[in-house]
Amino acid sequence: MSRLTEIEAMIARVALGDRAAFGALYDATSAKLFGICLRVLDNRAEAEDALQEIYVKVWHNAGRYQVNGLSPMTWLITIARNHAIDRLRTRRRAERRAGGDMAEAADLADAAPGPEALAVAGSERVRIEGCLTELEPDRAAAVRGAYLAGESYADLAARFDVPLNTMRTWLRRSLLRLKECLTR
Amino acid sequence: MTGAGDQHEEDRLLAAEHVLGLLEGEELARAERRLETDAAYRDAHAAWAEDFAALADEVAPAAPPARLRQAIERRLFGARRESLLRRLGLWPALTAAALAAGTYAVVTNLDLLRPDPVGPGLHAEIVAEDRSLVVQVAYDPSEPDALRVSRPSGEAAPGRSLELWLIAGEAAPVSLGLLPEDREGRVSVPEELRPLLMQAVLAVSDEPAGGSPAAGPTGPVLAAGPVTTL
Repeated sequence: MSRLTEIEAMIARVALGDRAAFGALYDATSAKLFGICLRVLDNRAEAEDALQEIYVKVWHNAGRYQVNGLSPMTWLITIARNHAIDRLRTRRRAERRAGGDMAEAADLADAAPGPEALAVAGSERVRIEGCLTELEPDRAAAVRGAYLAGESYADLAARFDVPLNTMRTWLRRSLLRLKECLTR
Repeated sequence: MTGAGDQHEEDRLLAAEHVLGLLEGEELARAERRLETDAAYRDAHAAWAEDFAALADEVAPAAPPARLRQAIERRLFGARRESLLRRLGLWPALTAAALAAGTYAVVTNLDLLRPDPVGPGLHAEIVAEDRSLVVQVAYDPSEPDALRVSRPSGEAAPGRSLELWLIAGEAAPVSLGLLPEDREGRVSVPEELRPLLMQAVLAVSDEPAGGSPAAGPTGPVLAAGPVTTL
């Protein structure tokens, strides 16, 4: 059984309330999801809290995995990423109220993967990375910033110092080119 | 004028912005609704989710500390069991036997993630932890007066009956009547209870023949399970 089908089978058993399957699913996937939490939140304590919440969601929502049409890892990654981003945004709002600035968050989003990371990537990954390199570097950074750092249009507009509407037009144009490349 | 092709392209863009978390306010609310009702939009959304999830491949895995797994399991299983039992503390005869049998229930929060496409109805699987009793319950809104119940495993002890309970939130359990003696059957649902089904937990208790003589269950809870949307 391939690893993906294995994970799919674990999710199906978790949906039936199988705690042993939940443990196995955690063992098989928690390092990946914890890595995502650390990357997005850049704070160990917060990433640990986030990971707990994420697996609580996985337990409660496993029964709905089938209907959303995602592959098992995408489903898990999406839950993890969305939760971490929600936390990050909450923190940013609090920081903004406290007079903090956005520089720290922007730094995070800039980190493009090195050649080594690209070399070990799977085919899916190579596809989107390849397509992102067809965009201007700052457009690619904006897409990455939105996905991996939860940057909103307002954040991106501030980072690239353009009006919000311009930012949206830019990014949408980039997304169209990205899709065109991904479906090529 | 907007042609069909433009609309398709516009939808794909919207789905990408949606997956990236760039939509806000009314636009986000509209997109969330479409996810439930519009299969083509849902497909576009899923395709982008797959594409962008691949960006997470660049993130190095990191082993979380071992205590996290314990904390999660305590939260899900330890605490849940405690809180269910606290609620069931109202149930006078909840015995140590039920505890020993490891009866538990999961209370799902249906709002945790985006709602799934509105399905044809509701479903619950009421399962004893050791799977000695498994009861499948389906509710079809086009046949609103009854639950379809099947019981692939387990049965009442001799001279006893299995009774089905609906537990909505923190409210006391409400009887839905006895489980059919046949493996397949129906249990009627009073109209006023139907709206509660969506967020409820269903449970089965062991009762004297003919059902609990009291307002609530008197015997141990053998199995429980949350109602989920199909």
